[in-house]
Amino acid sequence: MKKTGLLKLFFIPLMALAMIWPHSSQAADPVKVGVVLPVTGKFAKFGEIEKLSFEMAQEEINAKGGVNGRPLHFLIEDTTSKPDVGRSAAEKLISMDRVVMLGGGYSSSVTAAVAGVAINKSFPFLVNTGSADIITKPTAHTPSGRKASKLKKGLKEETDAGKIADIKKKITKLEARANKEVGRIMPRFRIFRLNPPVSEYASGLESFLADVVKPKSVAILHENSLFGTKGAAAFEKSAKKLGIQVLLKESYDSGAVDFKPLLAKVKQADPELIYMVSYVLDASLLMSQSMELRMNPKLFVGGGAGFTMPEFMSNTGKAGEKVISATLWHESLPLPGAREYFDKFKAAYDRDTEYHGAEAYAAAYVIADVLKRAKSFSKEDITASLAATDMMTVFGPVKFTSYDGKINQNKLETYVVQWQDGALKMIWPKDLANAPYAYPVNWLEERK
Amino acid sequence: MDLFLQTLIAGLLKGGLYALIGTGMTLIMGVMGIINLAHGQLMMVAMYLTYSAYALLGLDPYLSLFISMPVIFILGMLIQKYLLNPLVHTETILPENQVLMTVGIGMVLTEVMRFIFTSDYKSVKTAYSNATYFIGEISFSVPLMINFLIAIGVTLLLFWFLIKTDMGRSIRATAQDKEAAALMGVNPERTTYITFGLGAALVAAAGTLLVPIFYLYPDIGGPFTRRAFVICILGGLGSTVGAIFGGVTLGLVEAFAATYIAMEFEEMAGLVIFIMVLLFLPGGFKRLTGV
Repeated sequence: MKKTGLLKLFFIPLMALAMIWPHSSQAADPVKVGVVLPVTGKFAKFGEIEKLSFEMAQEEINAKGGVNGRPLHFLIEDTTSKPDVGRSAAEKLISMDRVVMLGGGYSSSVTAAVAGVAINKSFPFLVNTGSADIITKPTAHTPSGRKASKLKKGLKEETDAGKIADIKKKITKLEARANKEVGRIMPRFRIFRLNPPVSEYASGLESFLADVVKPKSVAILHENSLFGTKGAAAFEKSAKKLGIQVLLKESYDSGAVDFKPLLAKVKQADPELIYMVSYVLDASLLMSQSMELRMNPKLFVGGGAGFTMPEFMSNTGKAGEKVISATLWHESLPLPGAREYFDKFKAAYDRDTEYHGAEAYAAAYVIADVLKRAKSFSKEDITASLAATDMMTVFGPVKFTSYDGKINQNKLETYVVQWQDGALKMIWPKDLANAPYAYPVNWLEERK
Repeated sequence: MDLFLQTLIAGLLKGGLYALIGTGMTLIMGVMGIINLAHGQLMMVAMYLTYSAYALLGLDPYLSLFISMPVIFILGMLIQKYLLNPLVHTETILPENQVLMTVGIGMVLTEVMRFIFTSDYKSVKTAYSNATYFIGEISFSVPLMINFLIAIGVTLLLFWFLIKTDMGRSIRATAQDKEAAALMGVNPERTTYITFGLGAALVAAAGTLLVPIFYLYPDIGGPFTRRAFVICILGGLGSTVGAIFGGVTLGLVEAFAATYIAMEFEEMAGLVIFIMVLLFLPGGFKRLTGV
């Protein structure tokens, strides 16, 4: 009996030591970062380009020593392009995989859902693509704030003076309440965004329209998703600022077979500009069917997203030629490493990359930098480190600021690109362009 | 006027395809008395067959009709023989267990395709995908017109089969009165396989025709099952002629709603018509035509 007691005396501490051992001293234990991306589903093409960029960056970072000697590991979780799956993916990454922070986030609706989880768990989340303004707006994450903004929208259409005063009173009350609620969620609000919000996507385009095209009228077509609706609303504002008359603003449900009735209506309205906010397959269908209808406005313009993807060209062919799009990045920009990233991606995966890939690649480097500087991998220290970020990436400078009710938002320029001979060329601003813009375009000649 | 005509053309051409989808479902409904809720999913499988034939063999989507129709015909026969017919003799609480079975089959088909092809969107672009022909200012999409003609051809072939051949007569007889048909020497079991196979082959044809102008992904079946169901109700359950009218009506309603109300309400308009027919013309167009 005594012997076993003695054995226990040695054995138990030994076992305890064995349990602690690998955790306390294994220097090569990877640092895990969760990345939520749509690897399958309707946004798969965007998810793919971002996933490859994350993986490429991971390899490079680890070859250069990782995070202070420990390898960095991006755990990529598939959202299947659906908000509900995105939520559970984020929850799994946080509570099961015990990642130190979240990254990724493609498409506004999915990112907004993931942001909800991050706020609930006071978890740091660096968004690199989801672009609806509300994602970095704390007021939009409170019920009263949402109600107030809805009322504000209604106010614009109201004409009765008495009612206006009434609504205004309600709004002030709601906003006061929203501020209190924001105070409550602020300590848990750790969402940072690397890419500009969708309301600024067209800022580069605005000067191009004002200086070169000078259109008088526009028709806006958009998918009825969060990104599509917000993008269209933002361009409507830009149009007002530029004095462009909005003849038509129509939304559609993604997955329609035939856009011809819609396009025929646009053709009859005869706008000088057609502005579209669409993901990639609808963008292709819209362009090829507009060719079938022999539409000939001054300009077809895309609001980023589907219109800059290589798949847009391969699916659209001739009909995509000379189409202009807002963009957030181009490989010819004078940014350190931009061209190298583009060439390396092309060599490694035998395909082109564009702004979505650059966003992901830059985000990977920001995450590595944040983790290197963080005092510990606790949520608080990582958040503090994120807030102190000030670095240059292939996507542009990254420094988080607060403006217009948005917080932790990186402010960046946006640009204009055009499809020329099957390649995406940077055409605006002029001093950064790598090709002269083709304008005016005779679309009928172009597509013969 | 151009806008009206353009919408009319768009609606008619789309309606032709819808008619093909609806005819397949209504045929099954007429003979077996069940709603095949895996109808759109069978179409989705045909679309993937067409896509694979194009991606692997470089086969033109229209030639794929000769692959997709027979393959889906056999798949349909097997489904009827081994999955649906055994249920007829099983005692259950719900008499509609065959319908429930088709829901399950639809799910299995979707998930199998997702397993093989993932959820990614695929598309097939041919030289004629965007070809158009103009009369005045009205544009006619060449692939949609070919589709329309093939749809008419396939439907005529179906009518010839139903009216002139022995098998077709047996199918019609079974649809009218199962017991009496059995007494006259029709083999009711065999008739059901062939009917399900035929219905499946028809929707397979529609799927293949859609490939060059659209894109595909595993969940595409659901919306088309819904449309097929609406078409059958519009046309009157079990009426092939009715289904053709139903399909064209749905195509037109969707197109006009997209032009004159809003594109967002396209599908909603179809469902409104569906409810209107249920309320004011129960029995569908069959009541008017009598066929």
